[in-house]
Amino acid sequence: MAKARCGRILGEEIYIEEGDTTTLYFINQLRAYQVVLAALKALDQDICHDGCSLPSTVNKVIKRLGKLKNDLEASDVVAEEKKNLLSKVDSFLADVNKLPQDTSKTCRKSAGECVMGSGCFATGALNLIEEITEPEAPKI
Amino acid sequence: MQTEVLDNQIRGLSIVLGALQAATGEICKSCLNLEGAKTKVGKMVKKLGMDLDAASICFEKTKADLQARIDNLSKVAEELEVAEECECQKTAGNCKLGAECFVTATIDLMKLVQ
Repeated sequence: MAKARCGRILGEEIYIEEGDTTTLYFINQLRAYQVVLAALKALDQDICHDGCSLPSTVNKVIKRLGKLKNDLEASDVVAEEKKNLLSKVDSFLADVNKLPQDTSKTCRKSAGECVMGSGCFATGALNLIEEITEPEAPKI
Repeated sequence: MQTEVLDNQIRGLSIVLGALQAATGEICKSCLNLEGAKTKVGKMVKKLGMDLDAASICFEKTKADLQARIDNLSKVAEELEVAEECECQKTAGNCKLGAECFVTATIDLMKLVQ
């Protein structure tokens, strides 16, 4: 069956067979995490480094990537492709684990340092994941 | 314009540019949306520089610090790698994530700055 290009993750062009929505689901998730992680790394250079929203978001990403990994392992994605995608999940997990995870610090808004209004960059960055609306998560 | 307003804009653009840099490593590199985002973010940075020039900031050190951060943003924005010939990757059939777009959503992070 013909393969179609559907993304580029960690420098590698990714192709899937037409109609393989299960594999596409995992690829799209990883495409999103690639962008979210870049935003979180940029945030780590900001005052957010000493706050609690960034660690809270980082912990959520770690948890979600862990679930994505479990779901991918349990899925019927072709073995070779599964191995390739799992290595990318592991790479993202290694990256995100380098970011702050201590949520006991004071929110920079409460500390009076973050004066950007009611919004929060860390939450906003995580919400980029919601840009993926297709395909639906496979039933694992 | 107050220092803190400029500071908030700079913070936001740093994050937006971080995410856009990641998008340049994606199929988005050949996408019209990223090309448009690069132009948009370039204009935002330029406007920020003009706002800083027009701002009445008492401390030279503060102004110089803000200018240095804006200069850095400007460099990063200019260096965003976009393909010479772009087309929407959804239209091209490569981007299959639904109706939304990472790049547009990334730019929208600036709306968090009030």
